[in-house]
Amino acid sequence: MNRPTLNRPTLNRLTLALALSCYASSALAEPLTVEFWHIFGDAKRKGFIDQKAAEFNAKNPDIKVVPVVKGNYSENLQAAILASRQGQPPALVQVFDVGTQLAADSGVFQPVGNVEKTDYGDYLKPVLDYYTLQGKINSLPFNSSSPVLYANRDLIKKAGLNDGALPATYGALLRSCAKIKAALPDAKCITFGASSWFVEQWMAEQGTTLVNNGNGRAARATESNLDSPAAKNIFSFIKKLNDGGFYSFTGKLDDGAGSAAIFTAQKSVFLISSTADLGNQLDAAKQGSYRLGVGLLPIQDGSARNGVVIGGASLWIAKGIPDNVADAARTFALFMTNTANMKEWHKLTGYYPVRKSSVSELRKEGWLDSAAPQTVAFRQLLNTKASPATAGALFGGLLPARQIIQEGLQKVLQGQDVDSVTRDTKAQVDKVISDYNKSLGK
Amino acid sequence: MDTPVFKGRLFPWLLLLPSLMVLAVFLYYPAVQTLRLSATASNLITGNARFVGWENFTDLLRDPSYVQSAALTLLFCALVVSLGLLVSLSLALLASSVRRGARWYRLALIYPYALSPAIAATLWLFLFNPEVGMVNTVLGDLLGIRPRWLDTPGLAFGLVVMAAVWKNVGYNVAFYIAAIQNLPKDVLEAARIDGAWGSRMFWRILFPLLSPMTFFLVFANLTYALFESFALVDILTKGGPVMGSGGATRFLMFRLYTDGIENYKTGFGAAQAVLMFLGVALITLAQFRFAGRRVQYGA
Repeated sequence: MNRPTLNRPTLNRLTLALALSCYASSALAEPLTVEFWHIFGDAKRKGFIDQKAAEFNAKNPDIKVVPVVKGNYSENLQAAILASRQGQPPALVQVFDVGTQLAADSGVFQPVGNVEKTDYGDYLKPVLDYYTLQGKINSLPFNSSSPVLYANRDLIKKAGLNDGALPATYGALLRSCAKIKAALPDAKCITFGASSWFVEQWMAEQGTTLVNNGNGRAARATESNLDSPAAKNIFSFIKKLNDGGFYSFTGKLDDGAGSAAIFTAQKSVFLISSTADLGNQLDAAKQGSYRLGVGLLPIQDGSARNGVVIGGASLWIAKGIPDNVADAARTFALFMTNTANMKEWHKLTGYYPVRKSSVSELRKEGWLDSAAPQTVAFRQLLNTKASPATAGALFGGLLPARQIIQEGLQKVLQGQDVDSVTRDTKAQVDKVISDYNKSLGK
Repeated sequence: MDTPVFKGRLFPWLLLLPSLMVLAVFLYYPAVQTLRLSATASNLITGNARFVGWENFTDLLRDPSYVQSAALTLLFCALVVSLGLLVSLSLALLASSVRRGARWYRLALIYPYALSPAIAATLWLFLFNPEVGMVNTVLGDLLGIRPRWLDTPGLAFGLVVMAAVWKNVGYNVAFYIAAIQNLPKDVLEAARIDGAWGSRMFWRILFPLLSPMTFFLVFANLTYALFESFALVDILTKGGPVMGSGGATRFLMFRLYTDGIENYKTGFGAAQAVLMFLGVALITLAQFRFAGRRVQYGA
């Protein structure tokens, strides 16, 4: 008979393991579980988060952070809110900038500043401003970025232009485009996704808020400024680019990936895209063996450079969880965004390091040499003037408003005139705002 | 007289119970909830739900952009079903008459169906990128034209139709090939002896014999065009480009998703789901009523 048996050494080892695990579970109380719901499913960024959670768990044996990927931003917020309503909130949630007002109105989160006194002075002010509601720091900045101008320096040279300074205003860009068009029949001047994000940035650069009542921060917004002279400047610029035959895009709304493909195929001299794209762009330039330049986001001629809105996402702490769990969640969030980790995060992805201490350490390491492409992105961030315009718009209907603004851009690209498009766009966005306010019963 | 299979009345219900329970949880309960939600102005995020009666429905039906979406959806469905079945039946007939390597033809024809819709749409997006896509590179070199596939309303609409037809050809071909293989040989032989060839053979013999399969596929393709082509639209065009009072490819399902899921207007989304359900019910009834009679199920 051939009966399977355990040999003695295996049996001994099993007994030992069993004994040890009994000992471990009795000696240590169950660790506090902190679920962290985020949206980074890609290997690079998910890897960073998983690694930081593992480091944190090793250092804090009484806490167990469990990162979970929950689809895109919209789905992540929705899942977190439904889970909260069913009494199972995740302790820590990554919420995108445009969802800030929605998340605040949902009532399932608590301001991060509530949990315990922490010094937030080390965070960069323009970044922190976005997530400060009614004077309270509501969430911790995590992945922050703004748009910059990427340039193919080899093509610029080929077009016979000065490849030293990149155009920093609409006018300078249009003049460069005219020369590029004459010199380079195979490439367009500029590409970027027809995205509302750029319109929001260009409003802020001109010091104009997107919506009234201090961008919805002094009181709830009731109407948009999409027919303001600042907005008309933006739409006119797009029209001039398009009419001149300088602009290239895939035609799909908000298709940043399509524009990046056009730029890396060297079919366009310039690209406007997020600083978070920097890593990919540097890789692509190396592969395509062309020199990459990075410049400030071009703005309206004659306007002061007021700065950019720091977009991205922040970390929110749920309401209705035990205080020690909330504390643990906050401790982890602060750990993941500490000086060293923010430096690493920046080098890995191109997202801004949102702490002053990280920036000064990077500077000491020579990472911010004047020649380095990321210097420009930093200057754009550090020189941003604090104001309601650069703090970013806050209103519940920002998501549908973005769709409407993008459709407005496309109407201009299809040849409609700027005045009627901005008038329509404003009317539609205003309706979204008033519908949202009505849905709150206010 | 029918003799009952089961003695007693309770036993058959007991056997049905597991299925009924699954249906109740995953179908009937959500359906009732959808109906209830459709009469509210509710926002998922803020958790507010205010009873508004018919308001969502009247808002929708009075909104020219919704009416445009509905009309475009009808046109889209009609094109996807008719072109899809025409292409699939032709391909299935051709593939069935091949003698050597028939398996490979079948495999190649069914392959697109095995791709996930998201991957298929991304492939199409790469191919039809107007600036750097393969299609325009070839067209530009050969004919000197570079169509703007994604922001010319007519072309974008056509592109989504083509992609949707292509994506479902594999499914249709698989069913048609099976049906063709099961055709009664004696009938075909008799027709041949009587001198039926070509188009006459097709319209008088093959088409009627295949009508039960066509009848089924019309319905399957209709639900595909209405509901499952969503991923293609989401990735290829995002409902754009702007046309009239909306987008050229903003079909009802895509609209429902943007309003109900992306913009969290749950009640408004639910009302759209109810309207879509009524539409499908109506079309299905009409189909059984009018087309169903003409289906030949044979002896």
